Amino acid sequence: MAPVPMPSALSFELLGKCSVTKARAATLHLPHGPVPLPIFMPVATQASLKGLTPDQLEDQGCRLCLNNTYHLGLKPGQVTLDAIGGAHKLQSWPHNILTDSGGFQMVSLLKLAKVTEEGVRFLSPHDGSPMLLTPEHSISLQNSIGSDIMMQLDDVIATTSPDLARMKEAMERSVRWLDRCIQVHKYPERQNLFCIIQGGLDLDLRRECTAQMVARDTPGIAIGGLSGGEAKDAYCRVVDTCTGLLPEKKPRYVMGVGYPEDLVVSVALGADMFDCVWPTRTARFGNAITSAGVLNIRNAVYAEDFGSIEDGCQCTCCRPANQGGLGITRAYIYHVTAKETAGAHLLTMHNVHYQLNLMRLAREAILEDRYPQFVKDFFGKLYDWEKEKYPEWAVTALQGVGVDLLND
Amino acid sequence: MSPGAEENKLSQLPPEMIEFALLKTTGALAPRLGRISLAGRKTILTPAFLGNTSRGIIPHVSQDNLRKSIALNGVYVPLEDFVEKHPQQIPPIFQYDVPEPLRKFIALPEDTLLVLGARRNPPIPSPVANTNTDVGLSTSVGFKSMSSEYYAAAVRKLQPDIVVGVADIPFGQESVGTKRKDKMSDRTELWLRDIIARKDTLDKGEKSWSIFAPILPIERDLQSWYLEHLLEDMVDKISGVAIYDTYLLDDLPDQLHHLPRLSFHAPASPHELLRQISLGMDLFTVPFLAEATDAGIVLDFTFPPPTKDESASARRILGIDMWHQDHAAAVIPLSEGCTCYACTKHHRAYLQHLLAAKEMLGWVLIQLHNHAIMAAFFDGVRASLEAATFDADVSAFEAYYEPALPEKTGQGPRIRGYQFKSEEHAKKEKKNPKAYKRFDADKILELKAAHGQQPNRKPEMRGVIDDEALLGLVGMEQPTIEADPSAQLDGLKLDDDAKA
Repeated sequence: MAPVPMPSALSFELLGKCSVTKARAATLHLPHGPVPLPIFMPVATQASLKGLTPDQLEDQGCRLCLNNTYHLGLKPGQVTLDAIGGAHKLQSWPHNILTDSGGFQMVSLLKLAKVTEEGVRFLSPHDGSPMLLTPEHSISLQNSIGSDIMMQLDDVIATTSPDLARMKEAMERSVRWLDRCIQVHKYPERQNLFCIIQGGLDLDLRRECTAQMVARDTPGIAIGGLSGGEAKDAYCRVVDTCTGLLPEKKPRYVMGVGYPEDLVVSVALGADMFDCVWPTRTARFGNAITSAGVLNIRNAVYAEDFGSIEDGCQCTCCRPANQGGLGITRAYIYHVTAKETAGAHLLTMHNVHYQLNLMRLAREAILEDRYPQFVKDFFGKLYDWEKEKYPEWAVTALQGVGVDLLND
Repeated sequence: MSPGAEENKLSQLPPEMIEFALLKTTGALAPRLGRISLAGRKTILTPAFLGNTSRGIIPHVSQDNLRKSIALNGVYVPLEDFVEKHPQQIPPIFQYDVPEPLRKFIALPEDTLLVLGARRNPPIPSPVANTNTDVGLSTSVGFKSMSSEYYAAAVRKLQPDIVVGVADIPFGQESVGTKRKDKMSDRTELWLRDIIARKDTLDKGEKSWSIFAPILPIERDLQSWYLEHLLEDMVDKISGVAIYDTYLLDDLPDQLHHLPRLSFHAPASPHELLRQISLGMDLFTVPFLAEATDAGIVLDFTFPPPTKDESASARRILGIDMWHQDHAAAVIPLSEGCTCYACTKHHRAYLQHLLAAKEMLGWVLIQLHNHAIMAAFFDGVRASLEAATFDADVSAFEAYYEPALPEKTGQGPRIRGYQFKSEEHAKKEKKNPKAYKRFDADKILELKAAHGQQPNRKPEMRGVIDDEALLGLVGMEQPTIEADPSAQLDGLKLDDDAKA
């Protein structure tokens, strides 16, 4: 049965709820300062956000970013992390860090991991020797990293897997692994361990898992195993089902999401926290996120476009020079992107700012209880008010929480 | 608006020619202190260096970092970075209809001096030979040629503060015959006259610019006509000289000594830089800065050098190779006492990690630091000249430090298109080794079978190895040479691919 509830190193201050949808606005007080919810967390995989200095990341409004346990475990390695005194000191980041457990990378990247009750077996990328990542090892690494939020090791399998028995096994194993994680977590008073709800797309499994996880009373709760190529409406059903069963006074983190429309819909379904590498990765390929959709600035049509990436955008890159920004044009991004690393830095700043700002605007709308209208405006701008282009999954999911996108 | 008001407005426009004041000099072939000033721009005390830009920025330094973390009063910008579509298309920058379009386009701060030249420094030799009217360029999409007329028109449109006249130098050619040298001086003169003529036809109120005349890297006899004509009827039209061979400074006519000298003679080390300064050079672009940065070498020298510790017999290194594993847990600044952003905010351990992890931020931080070291170096040089201890300080510097920068050991960032020399295009192997590869197919099959599950990825992404994630696999296998560029992964195409 569940061990004694652990101490928590956070406080969740619920500030407002949408009167129509399940959206919530809150402030999450973490060891390295408060962060507004809902929030998008950019991914600084290897303790660095793709060329940006910590100051530049801060300038875009970020106060909570991700590091990947798997990558930091490889480089610089646990011994070095201990010697330096953790990831905050390593990267000189004065704000909050969330780390994953490392399990997702084992399975998704190495393509050669084998999961047993003990842990995840894989071959060392250094010398090919067999290695084992256990819940104990993952927590030990995350304790060395010193992240403000750490994730349990879970048994991740593709949501699209047809094997229900394997899915159930993974779900139940994730619960057992959470107990092992809780047991060895050394610093519950300064690092928050989140559980991860598994169960694939099977809503009964998800319900069962949610009940089991909630009983463990972790400071926060994540919904995992999604964003793996499943149909979007199935994704929405899982999020909706889980949030419906979760305690109100805890942050809810949907892992690996995502695109702006995913964020806006997931917030309406009651989720608070998101992370995804897409905004920063796509920046390096010359893609800029705007409220009218993603623009590939490497397209020749932008070569002579002397407007900013998005009018009115307040990121360092777009803000006009007379307002303390750089006043960078699309044409200049076209000129440097993929030719100078700084081109990627400029677009990365813009994209991170876009995602953070989207969540900031969502929060304002929730606090003023106009989130349904915010959602309608968001989709309107994104699809130029052509309602026949609205994605069906979003229309359906939002209908489920009382917002009819097609009917004003 | 009344005509009177218009005129009034024009008279308020700042004078557009730079002024150079020689503050201290002891004669020819001696170091000198000077001051370059231009209304609206930060004053540059010489000897000094300009930021050496690539596509409008100092490599790895985005414009906000330039403003926050690099103290630079001027930059050098080569036109060849902006005209790759010429002549098939009008390059985009010429369509930018604002005052000072080049400055605006590259988001250069208002008060930073902008020096425009035709070629990068150092230039990549272009296989397109210069002709009487055209100069060969190397752009990111290939070699082009550009007429002198075009250059002059570009300068008028782009409105830099200083323009360097085009020199006819057959870069990359091992030996240049006497006849060719004659041509060099003829063409260089012709091309300089084109710029001067263009400046003379500027409309009233149109922003003007100062002209630096190139001085060719050939003996005085062989460019004597050019130099004579320069003195006869161009000397009052030019505001400075661009020198391609410091060791021919002796040949510079006395009548040109009052002009600031921009060095296009790339020094290989701080020692060579000091030698050039000691011969009376004023302005530099210091290409070894960016080279050291790309090699992961953190410059670590000061001028004058610290007092020599007599017990230490070995000379100190000029730079620290940050790739070295020894730095992995060193929570100390890159160089002791440095006040740059990288040294005050970060430490060697992080730099070592960033390089080992091939994170772009590593090169950003080293570049900021290296520029700070160079700025402090020039501050030291000027103070030493002021105190008249320069010769002694140079000797001390030579005794204190090793004569050359350390060899590059680690990998740099991906090589970019305009960094290839033409002969490299002929080689079959890749310019950038493959960063990572799949495990061999048998192993994957075996493990998949043992495992019985698919990776948790979008269907279309299955089988595509992704850049972000696989960084952990770098170095797993020896990079092998594969001649077929189409086998490259998406997003990893060479920058000079036609498709890119």
